[in-house]
Amino acid sequence: MDPAVEGWREILAPQLLDLGLLGAFIALAMVSFLRKSIALKYVTFAAAVGYLGFTKSSLVSVSDVFRLTDLSVPEFKYSLAWYGFMLFVVGSTVLWGRVYCGRVCAFGALTQMMDPIVPRRMRLEIPVRIEKHANKVKYGVLAGVLAYYLVTKDVAGPIRYAEPFWMFGLFGSPGMWAGLAVLLLATVFVRNLYCRFLCPVGATLGIISQVTTVFRIKRWAECNSCKLCEKTCEWGAIRGPLIVKSECVRCDDCERLYMDQKKCPHWLILFKRKGNTAVPVSTLN
Amino acid sequence: MSQFRKVAAIALLLCASAVLAAAADRIFTTPNPAAELKRLFPGAAAFSTLGGEPLHFKAFAADPKANPSAAPLGVAFWTTDLVPNEHGYHGPIHILVGMDMTGVLTGVVVTYNSEPYGYFSVEPPKFAMQFKGKKVTDPFRVGGDVDAVSRASISIASATRAIRDSARIVARQLLVEAGK
Repeated sequence: MDPAVEGWREILAPQLLDLGLLGAFIALAMVSFLRKSIALKYVTFAAAVGYLGFTKSSLVSVSDVFRLTDLSVPEFKYSLAWYGFMLFVVGSTVLWGRVYCGRVCAFGALTQMMDPIVPRRMRLEIPVRIEKHANKVKYGVLAGVLAYYLVTKDVAGPIRYAEPFWMFGLFGSPGMWAGLAVLLLATVFVRNLYCRFLCPVGATLGIISQVTTVFRIKRWAECNSCKLCEKTCEWGAIRGPLIVKSECVRCDDCERLYMDQKKCPHWLILFKRKGNTAVPVSTLN
Repeated sequence: MSQFRKVAAIALLLCASAVLAAAADRIFTTPNPAAELKRLFPGAAAFSTLGGEPLHFKAFAADPKANPSAAPLGVAFWTTDLVPNEHGYHGPIHILVGMDMTGVLTGVVVTYNSEPYGYFSVEPPKFAMQFKGKKVTDPFRVGGDVDAVSRASISIASATRAIRDSARIVARQLLVEAGK
């Protein structure tokens, strides 16, 4: 009788496809992460850019950080996929760190896909002492846009000029596209420039992972002196024996090295002691 | 350890700003949206002030002081007054809805939104235009009789529900002859 009252079937039916595809994406991302597979990581990147990016534009935005200040959220029953996505983003950050930045964010996936394409000699390696300070710029960006939002209540400004995620909607002014072009050009020389130094969402997740991160990356006693992983880490997240949790995006590069019995000194020393017999990988955990 | 302290300080700062923001004023609708009312009822000579249950404006063809018994042309109302719990992606979308006395919408005006992608979802005139002439008993289904905007589905769906549900509340309570 009352047309304003909807049954659960009418509420759920239009959301089923989104829920299913989101579930499939999360499963892919987690399998690629837990199996430390390089190939699956690139499949995840492609899915992130294609589905989460260009199809859905479902990226965590700094406007989602704003909502922490006024607790304004979409209606639950009509936005199940959004709640599922946010739960995954926050949950994975608490459990493992910035997994979202490392393989779910469509923009991060896009710039990481540039990595194997851009020739290595074009890369500019930033000295650690500069990188240490540059890392903090994103916290400044976060504080800046948050203050701007609290004063003006304007969401549109920050999401247009402080983050490039609008690009997946293809709705930008010439000025915005020009800024994006400069950013992407700079990313050719400095890998993942935006994610490492500028992103306010990355800064927020960095704060969460710094305080939480339940399942941390394993370190051996040998890591105190070995610099192999530190040099391999493309995110500048390893400083000596320490993993900087707020910078680490769980890309798996160092963890793949730990498992490499031909490269990681932990194993090389162990073999020398035991008479050069390789240890089965299954004993790693 | 100093790093942990720094992080704790940042977290504390964020919490403090959250409390401040929650205490700060919310954005309210205009108490006298004269220009918007005129757009919804171009033929009206006068409008009542906001009042009644549910809260609404009445549009009159002639000044009601001269002819107090004349029936109004229609009513206008804020979605935020009638369905205050309807939130889009980020907070309520403020929409003034005009409806004639037979339950047909004369138009809608979106006056404020804080949707991140508002500029390509609920702000373009194309969105508001499609509600003009819609009957209160129409389905209001996004992707059906209301155009879907991909990448902004939460905003579009919320604004559509807000218009539909507020119009139905008003129709049920004010328009007995609306043909329901």
